[in-house]
Amino acid sequence: MAAEPIIQVVRDGDASKASPFTICIIANPALEAPWKSGQFIGDSITDHRAEFDASVRYVVQALFGRLPNQAEQFLGDATIAPRIRVVSVFADGLDAEDATALVGQDAVSNLLVPRRTAFAPFLARFGLAADVAYAISRSETHTRASAWFTSDDDGRAGVAFSLDGVALSHRFWNLIPGTIAQHATSRSLTALHEFGHALSSYSNGSVLDLYVDSPRGLNNKRGRPIPPGFAVYNGIALAADATRDGLGYGSWQSYHCELNDPEFPAVMDNYWLAHDHVPEHCQHDRITRMFLLDRIRAKLGR
Amino acid sequence: MEPMKPEEKARVLAENPQAEPGDLEEYERLLSRRFAMDPDIPASPEAIEAADSIEDRLAELHARLFPQKVPA
Repeated sequence: MAAEPIIQVVRDGDASKASPFTICIIANPALEAPWKSGQFIGDSITDHRAEFDASVRYVVQALFGRLPNQAEQFLGDATIAPRIRVVSVFADGLDAEDATALVGQDAVSNLLVPRRTAFAPFLARFGLAADVAYAISRSETHTRASAWFTSDDDGRAGVAFSLDGVALSHRFWNLIPGTIAQHATSRSLTALHEFGHALSSYSNGSVLDLYVDSPRGLNNKRGRPIPPGFAVYNGIALAADATRDGLGYGSWQSYHCELNDPEFPAVMDNYWLAHDHVPEHCQHDRITRMFLLDRIRAKLGR
Repeated sequence: MEPMKPEEKARVLAENPQAEPGDLEEYERLLSRRFAMDPDIPASPEAIEAADSIEDRLAELHARLFPQKVPA
């Protein structure tokens, strides 16, 4: 029998707003195993409250720049931090079924995959709605995190911006929130890296992985030779990173934006390759940080 | 998608001499590519075919890189 769910407001956020920017962190009730199979099993995270609570603390630390040695302050910006609402959801005893499985176990990797369309209806049971939501799993076989970008509601308002002369919008509302599946053992910059994907948008700027030869996106372009300029974002000219912070591009066609700290890989790159073996020294590149923080400021103003 | 640690990559290649670094790079690229496509908007037949092709290739690469994890 399902116990009473435990909903904890970790950070209040902007209480003057009817819909403050909200991050939800959920103990995943069930896994689809394998992903897209229609077969569901319970996720043991709902039997391990202390591990879930530790994951919640970790996610908040990573997002607000409070990990030991963390250089990227991100949501720790004093004009943003007090306005972000963070809520955790721990509900045990739920049946393992389509509606409660927020995570799938990929059949061709050890990726945990968010079942993105299940998140909003699940949160609505508890009167919650998220801009970005994490599902924390204790899968026995799959430990690697992944994320889907936000599907913006492009039929509603936002704050206009331009990227290389193209008019886009930091939309206030989503059709499907940004979703993340993450293991209870995840640490370091993983929660921050996945948040970068999840907060970005399929229609208004996609923040891509920079450790593979990715398609074109907000933070990745393609072509050779690498030009001096990467992009013009809202009238600000940003340079390209000719060397990928020394890691090199090899035979790729991808190239990236200039870094805030050229001594370390970008957060969206392979932060495990930090030369001093301290991934927390990595920061977002310039366009990614500007874009993500502008997107949050827009949503904070709704 | 969480990046692989360099020691994990080295371990996978050491344990599977039939696999090459290029296989692992392609595998990682295709896994990441999956998440760059919105799975919930109506796709053209060409886009569906491209997505299916990515999944087929991922299955091939998974079998080569992680043969011990492929069901018999």
